[in-house]
Amino acid sequence: MLAVGDSTTLEIIFSTKTYRNRVTKRPKVVTNEGPPDKNVQIIAHIVQRPDSTYPVVMNPYKLDLSQFTTKVRDKISFKISNVSDIELHPTLVALSEDIFELELPDKIPAGGEAEAVLKLKKDALELSFEKSFTLQFDDEKTSRFTIPVKRTVRVAGNPPGTTAGKGTRGGK
Amino acid sequence: MRKTITLFLGLVFILSLSGMALAAPRLTIEESTFNFGFVPQHSKVSHSFVLRSTGDDTLKIVKVVPG
Repeated sequence: MLAVGDSTTLEIIFSTKTYRNRVTKRPKVVTNEGPPDKNVQIIAHIVQRPDSTYPVVMNPYKLDLSQFTTKVRDKISFKISNVSDIELHPTLVALSEDIFELELPDKIPAGGEAEAVLKLKKDALELSFEKSFTLQFDDEKTSRFTIPVKRTVRVAGNPPGTTAGKGTRGGK
Repeated sequence: MRKTITLFLGLVFILSLSGMALAAPRLTIEESTFNFGFVPQHSKVSHSFVLRSTGDDTLKIVKVVPG
């Protein structure tokens, strides 16, 4: 139920499975507004060879931030290789701001590479999820890339982000 | 006098009915299309759309049907 003037978010999760090339999906949102129902639309260009994309190649092209020990794993870096013949400037299009922070290079020289770092926010340390973020590059086609991010947390004993066993517990 | 009162009450009734007819829920989806660009096969990606209630009655989201 949404009161007049209120808003909410609808998260659409898309599993690319064995799709190929351009795929469009139009999930329908049914409300008491009545017909015609409204749609959201997602478009994706599914690549079978993510290690040979243009104008950039992401390495790795999927990020895994999983944590199976008490050692906190809260960031991961990845390389962006510019395989075009012009300097590229990456920009962030979409990211779950409640979960991530992203450090992007200002520019990537033609034929060169640069490192980017995805950081997990403190409040998200105990979460397991499958999310993604989207980057765009200023080539002729303003190419976009979406990088999947997976995190599974399975820690025996203390949950991540806690420091039980160190210092004192209890009152003052 | 009685005729005037009847006319007034009738007018109030009609106005209240028209007000009821105007009260309707309305869904507005901000930026209803999202382009992921290149996405690797065998992976999961996600995007959050903002849904806003812009009518003059409470909006109930009944279900979302995959498309």
